[in-house]
Amino acid sequence: MIYFEKRENISAKLKVVIPVVSLIIGILFGALAIVVVGINPYAVYKSLFVNAFGSWYAFSETLVAATPLMLITAGLILVFKMGIWNIGAYGQYIMGAIFSSYFAIFMPPGVSKPLMLTLMFAGGAIGGAIWAVIPAILKVFWEVNEVITTLLLNYIALYVLKFLMYGPWKNPKSFGFPLSKPFPSSAQLPVLFEHTRINLGLAFALISIIVIWFIIKKTNFGYEVRVIGNNPTTAKYAGISVGKNIIIAMAISGALAGIAGMVQVSGIIHFLQVKINANYGYTSIIVAWISYLNPALCLLSSILFGGLESGGYSIQISMRVSYGIVGLIESIALFSIVGAQIFLNYKLRWKK
Amino acid sequence: MNKITVLKATDITKKFPETVANEGINFSLHKGEIHALLGENGAGKTTFMNILYGIYMPTKGEILINDKPVRIKTPLDAINNGIGMIHQHFMLVEPLTVLENIVLGLKEQGIVVDRKAAKKKLKEIAELYSLEVNPDKKIWQLSVGEQQKVEIIKVLFRGANILILDEPTAVLRPQETEPLFDILRKMKKDGKAIIFITHKLDEVMAVSDKISILRKGRLVKTVDKEGVTKRQLAEMMVGRAVLFEFEKKEKKAKETLLSVENLDVYSTQQGVKVVEDVNFTVKKGEILGIAGISGNGQQAIVQTIAGLRRAVKGKIVFEGKNITNKSPRYIAQIGINYIPADRIGMGLASDLSCIDNAIMRNYYKKPISSSWIINYKKSEEHTRRIVDMFNIAVADIFAPIKLLSGGNMQKLLFARELFENPKLLIASYPTRGLDIASTEFVRKQMLKIRDEDMSVILISEDLDEILSISDRIAVVYKGKIMGIADAREIDKNTIGLMMAGTRLEDITL
Repeated sequence: MIYFEKRENISAKLKVVIPVVSLIIGILFGALAIVVVGINPYAVYKSLFVNAFGSWYAFSETLVAATPLMLITAGLILVFKMGIWNIGAYGQYIMGAIFSSYFAIFMPPGVSKPLMLTLMFAGGAIGGAIWAVIPAILKVFWEVNEVITTLLLNYIALYVLKFLMYGPWKNPKSFGFPLSKPFPSSAQLPVLFEHTRINLGLAFALISIIVIWFIIKKTNFGYEVRVIGNNPTTAKYAGISVGKNIIIAMAISGALAGIAGMVQVSGIIHFLQVKINANYGYTSIIVAWISYLNPALCLLSSILFGGLESGGYSIQISMRVSYGIVGLIESIALFSIVGAQIFLNYKLRWKK
Repeated sequence: MNKITVLKATDITKKFPETVANEGINFSLHKGEIHALLGENGAGKTTFMNILYGIYMPTKGEILINDKPVRIKTPLDAINNGIGMIHQHFMLVEPLTVLENIVLGLKEQGIVVDRKAAKKKLKEIAELYSLEVNPDKKIWQLSVGEQQKVEIIKVLFRGANILILDEPTAVLRPQETEPLFDILRKMKKDGKAIIFITHKLDEVMAVSDKISILRKGRLVKTVDKEGVTKRQLAEMMVGRAVLFEFEKKEKKAKETLLSVENLDVYSTQQGVKVVEDVNFTVKKGEILGIAGISGNGQQAIVQTIAGLRRAVKGKIVFEGKNITNKSPRYIAQIGINYIPADRIGMGLASDLSCIDNAIMRNYYKKPISSSWIINYKKSEEHTRRIVDMFNIAVADIFAPIKLLSGGNMQKLLFARELFENPKLLIASYPTRGLDIASTEFVRKQMLKIRDEDMSVILISEDLDEILSISDRIAVVYKGKIMGIADAREIDKNTIGLMMAGTRLEDITL
């Protein structure tokens, strides 16, 4: 008989070995799927790697994809540490993009670039924060489960975006496509490295990781977050205001997701449209999870998943595989990494 | 007396990655014997029992049952070898009847249960050992004592000859202890062998034939009850002489520190009144004991004082200020500190480090925090001071507190609250689960506070503790106070009657 036995202690080595081994297993299973559709898996993976990390340009695209992941994950780490399951980064990201785009679309011409970008940044943060504070308030005052509310607000955000894009905010010159008018150059985040799309957003992302790390490790608020996450009853006993902290942490988390949305429209797309890669909001949940809610590891995992995103996008063209295959590889990898976490706490034993 | 050895364990050793829980234990159990296993918390009693019952496999050593070597790998192996265990926390399904619980999981049972035959067998067992329970009653309708009987029947039903009872009296009222001992004596007469785990010396002296003392994972000695005294047993358990009586200085009652007037509290879920019209006062430099069986509202009373529950009616006044329904932080800041009963559930954050747990009361105050940033160097110093002062065995203050033993966790929590120099310390079961040495320490600390003119509310089920420490004793029953008496003028029997619901004024002495 095979059975699970609880591990008495979890070594640091195990924390590295298990995700790496499970990622390799995931890659092997992914290969199986690629074989089934009749393509050489080795070539696909090689191309994926080359397109993600093989050159400076490829790596710069990986960093471009990693930027919103870092921003969103940093915020998710804070709320997840508290035991609050914010599944709504998708919607918070969209609201951030909408609020910041408002300035880019409607401000009179001639507004200086620093002012414009500041307004857009603030708009992104506030838009995302509002969308996260709504479920936080519902949870604190009426004990409504935040998983449901954050998830449902994602759909509302998406439909708000669609309404704007097909309706009032549509560019009359877009030939019927659901796009806003292009952002003026004053509303575009400056590029940091020539000939790449890496923009100031990457700096926001790195700063946000450091700030979240600092909050969790060093501040009174971070201490309260950790106590609440570990034992809300003890937190109340210690006089910590659980509700207030939930609202603040959700606001921070939503603001960071909103900033990610702002970075995407202002730094990469340069107009608002329906497809603004809001799926980063879901991918970040996994990134936060495999980072063990550790801000430093979130940097690494974001780059890894950024590579999967950008490399996967490129192999559609270079290998002529459908994006579905990329999604499949990504999902299998996630599945095996998350599934393998059981081996962190348990080990398999055989017994006759 | 012919002594048939039914169980023999030789050289049992169990190593865990960090510690050795059992080392070279040699133990034998005879037919018709009640063998007490005595030891402090963390002495290895539970590990050893879990090895006998197949929950752990020993690293080394051999177990013989009726002179045959056996390998007990699962509780099922243990049951098949005639070993039955009565856990401290009952393993019963509450909505099912007694009979259903007993036949549940029986191997020989087919798809359809032969209720008639089962009931007959149950009746026979019950009569033999005077374990009267109604087989058709649902478990939730039974008292704790009756539930314990069901557990015992369950084990006997499966043909156990060796019974292991893990601290069976911990859950019982004082009046229920003696009937349990009678049952044990009957089983012994019938040739059953019983292992009785405890750390209460009175019980050991009352019921056992042989006593094995465990200390730090080793079996110190096995002795006959005849010719050994309580004091000797305690010394063997602790490894040094132990104080039983405390020096309690005579004190005169001073002004009132806290008064609780007409307090009503409702349960959080069902809206049932759990505290009804409770009145009492605590004076400066006084220890007020609150006795009662757990679940009679004592937690609700003190949690309301601590600001963790809402008073629906009534008033709580501290130093002349009305503090009814103030926030927990406000109440902690004016000098009321609370040690909760279930420290893992409330009071500690088990996955966080000892430091994080040690600073829970002052993380937001200077010098630990400069208004919003926590100074971890200062936190570390604070933690080390607490650990050193109270002699808490901590290997690594950066490691999660859950790695500490229960006793050390409790000491850390106690020390943290005491460090705040409270004017009133509320201690719920402060010594529950503590070993003798730690118990002695905690009691001494409470008396020390009292000498320094601070006050204590002590909730305990241990009547010896309540009687030896408190100045006055209040007894609660179903959310009401049955009476408050001077500790010198009341005895265990009276308290026991009050715990069962008799008012002090109705007791004729």
